[in-house]
Amino acid sequence: MSRSTLRSVAVPLAAVILGLLIGALLIVSQGASPVTAYSSLIQGGLGDGDALLRTLQKATPLIFGGLAVAFAFKAGLFNIGGQGQLLVGAVFAAAVGFGVDGLPTFIHLPAALIAGALAGAIWGGIAGALKATTGAHEVIVTIMLNFVAGNLTDWLSANPWKDNSGNNIVARTPLVEDSATIPTLGAVPVGFLLAVITAIGCWMILERSTYGFEVRSVGQNRNAAHYAGIKVGWTMASTMAVAGTLAALGGAVESLGVDGRFEAGVNVGLGFEGITIALLARANPLGVIPAALLVGLMEAGASRMQFKAGVAPELIDVIQALILFFVAAPMIVRWLLRMRQGDSEQLRLGAGWGNS
Amino acid sequence: MASKWRHLLAVLAIFGLFTAAACSSDDGGGVSGGYTIGLVTDTGKVDDKSFNQSAWEGAQNGAGNILGATASYIETEESKDYANNIQLFLDDGAKIIVTVGFGLGGATIEAAQANPDVLFIGVDQWQNEALPNLVGLMFPEANAGFMAGALAGMLTETNIVGAVLGTDLVPPVVFFKEGWENGARYTNPEVQTISTYHPGGLDVAFGDPEWGATTARQALDQGADIIFGAGGATGNGALIEVAGEAGALCVGVDQDQWFTVPEAHPCLVTSAMKLINIGVAHLIAEAYAGTMEGGNYFGEVGLAPFHDFDGVVTSEMRSTLEEVMAGLADGSINPMP
Repeated sequence: MSRSTLRSVAVPLAAVILGLLIGALLIVSQGASPVTAYSSLIQGGLGDGDALLRTLQKATPLIFGGLAVAFAFKAGLFNIGGQGQLLVGAVFAAAVGFGVDGLPTFIHLPAALIAGALAGAIWGGIAGALKATTGAHEVIVTIMLNFVAGNLTDWLSANPWKDNSGNNIVARTPLVEDSATIPTLGAVPVGFLLAVITAIGCWMILERSTYGFEVRSVGQNRNAAHYAGIKVGWTMASTMAVAGTLAALGGAVESLGVDGRFEAGVNVGLGFEGITIALLARANPLGVIPAALLVGLMEAGASRMQFKAGVAPELIDVIQALILFFVAAPMIVRWLLRMRQGDSEQLRLGAGWGNS
Repeated sequence: MASKWRHLLAVLAIFGLFTAAACSSDDGGGVSGGYTIGLVTDTGKVDDKSFNQSAWEGAQNGAGNILGATASYIETEESKDYANNIQLFLDDGAKIIVTVGFGLGGATIEAAQANPDVLFIGVDQWQNEALPNLVGLMFPEANAGFMAGALAGMLTETNIVGAVLGTDLVPPVVFFKEGWENGARYTNPEVQTISTYHPGGLDVAFGDPEWGATTARQALDQGADIIFGAGGATGNGALIEVAGEAGALCVGVDQDQWFTVPEAHPCLVTSAMKLINIGVAHLIAEAYAGTMEGGNYFGEVGLAPFHDFDGVVTSEMRSTLEEVMAGLADGSINPMP
């Protein structure tokens, strides 16, 4: 491991350790044993095939959601619209999944994924296009689009695409056809493999392609990028469309691989966790994978920890918040590690604020 | 690099001192061994002062009546975990598993089919087809609504009573509403009823206090002076709105909402209650005794205490209410003719 790689993982790693330690103190204060709690947490997330499957299933939409935020970060854009983009991706993928009949898997499944991805591209692209043409701030627009997406998908799953089988009264679509279902290989959901490949793809695009260079240039200095001949407006709009696609793929994989349908209300909050993941990964597309696995593991094991150690599952949220706190406030960690200022690359979050 | 890590290690050591004491004290945890009763909540907390809490109290009472039995619970964080959380109890050898709420219905049926030796109690889960090891705990909401309506019919001075309801997609809400209107007419043939269902889907109908408040306000403006709020947070919004209107009264639902919506104290006469805790404890006793029958079981309903309005409810009203309850119990009164 090179010295620079070591430096870039030092802060997140130390943040995780500190978060878990403070979590241990909280567990003690509840009168429970941190050893039992953490060992049952790990067992619940990695202990057997089922546990591993749960962890990978939980990590999958987090990888997509983390990429959706991280990719936009690179262009200096703060994508808060992961939730809305995930929802439209989930509902449109499910619609093609249950609405089309008689196609072979190798056509039907990609078609359903593409339908979800396109919906997300449009959803993210709207915010990007408004930013590029009118200067409307993407934070505001994406937050508003989250509400629009929430209501639109509620309506779609309660009216035209509602599951009318049996006595169903819940707002949900019918089950997707087998030919559109994402399979699971042993304990490994294929959706997770797709997420890992997508993360590597994002890294390649950002670090090894002309387009990625343009995205990063716009993120670092919009005026310089413009002066260098980069189409800043187009780059911002297309970056948001890519970010929307990524989040929507996470929703599509939930519908086609985990839930087997779209149901209003079951994906609430999933899209927002992408922000946590991207911060923890310090906006590095490859870093998103371990960050999502860590959070996925904690969420998968939380029930077992609650069950075996009597620790309230909210503790997991507290630990996640602590980890984020230490990542976002690296001064504390740097003091603990006695790192020099600038040893670890600062994460630039604020480029999009105020200077549109 | 090594010297940098050393500083961190020192900090870790301090944390270690704090945690070491607790680590040595107990190990194992869990509920293995003995007769285990497990409860899986809906995406709510066991101290929600409502549904989940009432069921958990029932499970604890039920376990308390069985020698050597222990009850424990898992709070569901997201609805995707229903089946996993039931499985945790199954893996641990639980004998009776209580699942709370309509949402867990599907996961409970699947678990019951896969585990014929374990007994399941599903609160508010109607069973279309009876499984031998699964009983749905249902409640005659129409009776509860009828009792509350009968009281409202006697209390109203404008002869107009209102109801602010969750969606009519959910049968229990419809039963509450029909019972309420019929009960009001039973004691007050002159009465007019203004009842409004939330127009949204299942996912919003019970979580829209603003709509509840607005709708309650409309009913008040149309002359209603006692309003029944039945529909989770939506109904609670109605209660709180009524509390701000001098002289107006309100009626809560499911639990004694005196304790769950303190803001409604200025108007809350009573609540149309489903006695979930008693029902759960009863079914656990049956399950333990081996007399539990699969299918559906109807629990008890009743009116909550009148609290601050004890003096407002006259002894004549009380005796009429007693007649109504007796009539509902022996079938001479039909709450939904």
